[in-house]
Amino acid sequence: MTAQPRIQPQSAATDAPASGALTLSALSKRFAIEGRALPVLDGIDLSVRPGEFVSIVGASGCGKSTLLRLIVGLDTDYSGEIRLDGKRITGTSLDRGIVFQDHRLFPWMTLEENIGLALLNSEIPKEQRARIVCEHIALVNLTGFEKAYPHQLSGGMAQRAAIARALVTEPTLLLLDEPLGALDALTRVHVQTELQRIWMRQRSTVLMVTHDVEEALYLGDRVIVMAPNPGRIRRIVDVDLPHPRDRSSPVLHRLRDEILAELTGAPDPENLVRFPAQEPR
Amino acid sequence: MSARVIAFGTALLPPLLLVGAWQIASSTGLFPPQILVSPADVAGTIAELVRNGELGSHLGDSLFRLFWGFGIGALAGLAFGTALALSRLFEALFQPLFQAARQVPILAFIPMLVLLLGIEEGFKITVVAVAAFFPVALATFDGVRGIPKGWLEVARVYRTPFPSLLVRILIPATVPPVLTGLRLGLTRAWLVLVAAELLAADNGIGQMMEMGRQLFRIDVVLAGVIVSGLIGFALDRGVKLFERRYTRWRVA
Ligand SMILES: Nc1ncnc2c1ncn2[C@@H]1O[C@H](COP(=O)(O)OP(=O)(O)O)[C@@H](O)[C@H]1O
Ligand SMILES: [Mg+2]
Repeated sequence: MTAQPRIQPQSAATDAPASGALTLSALSKRFAIEGRALPVLDGIDLSVRPGEFVSIVGASGCGKSTLLRLIVGLDTDYSGEIRLDGKRITGTSLDRGIVFQDHRLFPWMTLEENIGLALLNSEIPKEQRARIVCEHIALVNLTGFEKAYPHQLSGGMAQRAAIARALVTEPTLLLLDEPLGALDALTRVHVQTELQRIWMRQRSTVLMVTHDVEEALYLGDRVIVMAPNPGRIRRIVDVDLPHPRDRSSPVLHRLRDEILAELTGAPDPENLVRFPAQEPR
Repeated sequence: MSARVIAFGTALLPPLLLVGAWQIASSTGLFPPQILVSPADVAGTIAELVRNGELGSHLGDSLFRLFWGFGIGALAGLAFGTALALSRLFEALFQPLFQAARQVPILAFIPMLVLLLGIEEGFKITVVAVAAFFPVALATFDGVRGIPKGWLEVARVYRTPFPSLLVRILIPATVPPVLTGLRLGLTRAWLVLVAAELLAADNGIGQMMEMGRQLFRIDVVLAGVIVSGLIGFALDRGVKLFERRYTRWRVA
């Protein structure tokens, strides 16, 4: 990863994108398991502004992946409403892209073929596709690896390739399901920085599920904290800091502690260790 | 490169030792020469059979049957395996029968097929087709069923048109297991064909061996053993090379 290109500080009013407004209203989802209904999502209400980056954190099994699958249109069996720019979602569409935790690149296709696959059904004229694929490979800093097969890429590179594939159709809404979950700590930090840079360039609406609270705060304009059984929104945290952000910002640290306390349950006074000889903490 | 040469030489060692031992055993005179023909004599016989065109003619007949039998059996196996994997109804109807029938040794079908079809070309091609059918159908079924759901979801997300889905995703995803099935089917088909020709035929490499046995020409029998072994080996290797070439993306 080379030095970051110059990033224009975000000027909220002027370059806010016109499309990419997502609204979820009274969204509920249940699975039938052995004849019994298992409620997985219950009464989710959320409105995401065009171009906003929203992170979602929550215990595993609280329905985060299910929520993204509903929004991307892979599962249309739900109650309530999902609307993107006012239009009800009834299935998959090229204006919504998704990156799964496992990169899901096809092992028999080169990087450029994998990314080009996303354009097969797009309205972009054939003769422009190669150029667009090339640009997106450059966007995720993988220039030079166009002809590489997935097994020749590292985990971080493969995940960036998957991000390029999701972006190549220029979706108004990008969904990320723990996209960096399988990466080691150092690679994660790199790809997070990349992701921030890419998002600032593309300005599509992003909904990112993560189990890493710091990652959620570093990238998100808002962080949705979910509660399990059934999945609900427990709290929405505004992260009122301009992008690009400084990881060491005290605001991020304070919010991280708050969210972690929220996720792990409020501390029980009985369990607090007291040091009588010391000043109160 | 030199490692490959060494590996090749190493693999050649046991067969050479075997032929050497055979040559020594036959030259001791301990065994009657009609029973234990020397490798040199067998080599001479093979050369003679090649020269007078007999071997070529028998081999041509056998390979003709293999080509048609395997072609028909493999295509049927591909179609059957795909249908079994994709259709619930088809699976409910045919899966138990298929699983039971594939346990029957192919050679056990021969008496029944002889009764039905006689011993003409139709019979031999059918036996070969049946032998090729089962491994190909099984591998195709497993291959199509084994396509990860996640890949199909990617295609749904990008709304990949069906022809592209078929050509770019479904077929490549099933190629490795299907090629393995085809290779297995091809070598099985060859084995069964030679066996069927031994039992009932007017020509072909198996029949050449059977004639040799009846005329007490052990050299001809052994020539047939060697040639059919080499052909089977070559068929297996040929498909393996093809497999490696077309699934190169698998090797890390
Ligand atoms: N296809 C399915 N059928 C039945 N239950 C499912 C299915 N997919 C997910 N679930 C259940 O829904 C719950 C939420 O799953 P998921 O959305 O994957 O959670 P998360 O991504 O937050 O870890 C889990 O209890 C899981 O077992
Ligand atoms: Mg999940």
